[in-house]
Amino acid sequence: MASRVGNPKAEAQVSEGTAKSQPNSNNADSAPKKQRVKRPNYNEIHAKPLPLEVYPLPTFIPHNPISIVRIAVSLISHSIRRPSSHLVIHKAYFSPETQSIHVTDPKSIRALWEQGFWGKGSLSRSEPHWLDQEKRRRGLDAVQTSEEYTRGRREERRQMKLERAKAQREAIEEQLRKEGKVVSETQIEDLVDEGLFAESPKGTLYSTDSDKPLASTTETENAIISAVSKSAGQNPLVPDAVIEDQEHLQLTLEEAFFLCYVLGVLEVSNNHVAVQPTELIRLFCQHSLFLATETLRSPVPLSQDDVVAIAPDNAFVLKYIVFHHFRSLGWVVRPGTKFGCDYLLYLRGPAFHHAEFAVMILPAYSHPYWSEDPVRAAASRKKENRDWWWLHRLNRVQTQARKTLMLVHVEVPPPWDENGAKRIDISKVLVNYHVRETIWKRWSMNRNRD
Amino acid sequence: MAPGFTPVSEPFAISRVAGRYLLFDVDVMMHARRAYNICGVHVGTVPNLSQQNVFLGIPLELQPEEARVLVEQGHAYIVDESEAHRKGFMQMSREERLSFLKAMDEQGMDISRKAVERAEERSGQALRNKGIESKETVVKETAGEGNELFDSKPTGPTATPVSVKKLEPTYVTPTTSYPPLTPSPPDTSFSLPDVPKSYPLFRYLHSRGYFTMPGIRFGCHYSVYPGDTLRFHSHYLATGMDWDEEFELLDVIGGGRLANRVKKAYLIGGEEKSEEQVDTGKGVGGGADVAPVRAFSIEWAGL
Repeated sequence: MASRVGNPKAEAQVSEGTAKSQPNSNNADSAPKKQRVKRPNYNEIHAKPLPLEVYPLPTFIPHNPISIVRIAVSLISHSIRRPSSHLVIHKAYFSPETQSIHVTDPKSIRALWEQGFWGKGSLSRSEPHWLDQEKRRRGLDAVQTSEEYTRGRREERRQMKLERAKAQREAIEEQLRKEGKVVSETQIEDLVDEGLFAESPKGTLYSTDSDKPLASTTETENAIISAVSKSAGQNPLVPDAVIEDQEHLQLTLEEAFFLCYVLGVLEVSNNHVAVQPTELIRLFCQHSLFLATETLRSPVPLSQDDVVAIAPDNAFVLKYIVFHHFRSLGWVVRPGTKFGCDYLLYLRGPAFHHAEFAVMILPAYSHPYWSEDPVRAAASRKKENRDWWWLHRLNRVQTQARKTLMLVHVEVPPPWDENGAKRIDISKVLVNYHVRETIWKRWSMNRNRD
Repeated sequence: MAPGFTPVSEPFAISRVAGRYLLFDVDVMMHARRAYNICGVHVGTVPNLSQQNVFLGIPLELQPEEARVLVEQGHAYIVDESEAHRKGFMQMSREERLSFLKAMDEQGMDISRKAVERAEERSGQALRNKGIESKETVVKETAGEGNELFDSKPTGPTATPVSVKKLEPTYVTPTTSYPPLTPSPPDTSFSLPDVPKSYPLFRYLHSRGYFTMPGIRFGCHYSVYPGDTLRFHSHYLATGMDWDEEFELLDVIGGGRLANRVKKAYLIGGEEKSEEQVDTGKGVGGGADVAPVRAFSIEWAGL
């Protein structure tokens, strides 16, 4: 008994000893590999949820009289000279071609990304870090970006698949050998070469009759990759050259409008003229119409003569209502095109959590105005109807990505912009809209048993 | 050929019950599947075990598209069952009805006789097991051969004749309506099945030899198989559309993403409207001239 207990201990000690001795022996090799790049402290970087300055009173500590003094000092100083919450007004311009708002100042880009996750880098997946990626590519910096992480993961997966295919092939080889179709010495490659068997790109073998043996795609892939890397290698990479940041931040129309109208920290200009939020809404609404960009190219100024009345179910208005609703409730709202939905809702932000909900916006026409006229009723019914296939597809996509589908119905009021006033009282408009959320989930008896 | 496979004479009947197209005959189902790539969906349960709905059996429900393809190609015809039954039973003559009732009675009698025989055998077995054989075997023997011995031995044991006298036909509920009724001949006046707008795509895929199953769980109209659905995984998730129909690009993203995840490709397709068809306003009607269908498959590139 004692010996049994003793043995594993001894083994463990031995293994520990080897483990300890190994790094010592080839320290130069393994030490730099093991040194992991520390993740940035996202809590610190994204401490501010919105790009505004706030001045909270110092903490009140009852047994510490100095804290009372500090509170009094800050109260007095604030009452004498009120500190501004809008220290920086970020500058941006409207780009009708991309239907987005561009921010080019690097400081603004960082600030908008870090304080509330606004916008997306034009050359990145979401966080604007093209420059980091470029630096890393040239060997200047060692920060791993999320795109590179994804790439690495995909490469790993590809390797895994190749290995699996190889194992399958070996099993087939073994089977063929057993069946006596293959002489034990010949390798399977020879047979493929001879044309007795064809090999699919995934490593499966078929006995051929008519088809030529397929060339494996992995080879062609490798060829392409090597060609690309060769051409890339021809680029003289000057390590110490200053790299110009070619990336800008793209804000969606809704984000820009929220920053502009609600927070007042963004100034959007169109054709080098700053546009007020009261006029901005008309600009954005016009550009969210289908094929609007061709007819409303930037040279057309916002003149009072050719004002198009904003439909109450304008795509921009509906999307903005929902954006405003969830942003006001504290969610970080980001576009969800890649998951086939309108918005993704993040708790705190994409750096902290995966998106919790996928929002799909549906207009609802339950106001009596929409059912007065049979033609209008038919048109609105057509707009709000979706088929079951649509719902199943959407729900399945979200379930695969572990998100919960939220159907958001926006009650569309009767038209409010019939006379086309130049300046729109936005708060009056927003009051007319109502939002209803519905969570849609597949319920299966076996999986929902607690 | 599978055992018990009897050749099916064409055109075969597709029963229309409450707007659904059903096949009740196993041979016809096999024929449709083998010859015309029509799979359908089994919808039948055992009547007294209807909670068991994992494995379903006959009847086979056909999608309207499947029924229409079969009818258009002349392999099948639609029978409106409620009409056929009403007409068939109303027009049945007295002799036919009586002969059918008589046949049912005979069948019932057969069942009763067999039941009695089984019961006697069982009781005899039980007695034998208890060892009370000596006296009872005589009775048993005579009872067992009662039917034949009855004439020769009029003074036999009393038990047997009594049981024969008491024998009443079991009431049989007929399970099929096609022995009493005769199958109605193909009725060409019956209109083609109503089909959704995705029908042209279905017809196109079917003409290319693909097998299809309903694809509602993947959010598409059809999941398309390159061969028999029992042998292959499906390759495409197909959604049929009108040629000029507007759809959201988000749907394409969603469909492509979904299909990619389950190792398939998302397929959209529709009937290309030629100029004259647009002019004359001729729809998707099943005429001889069929407008070409174009289909596009969408895959996630993952660049």
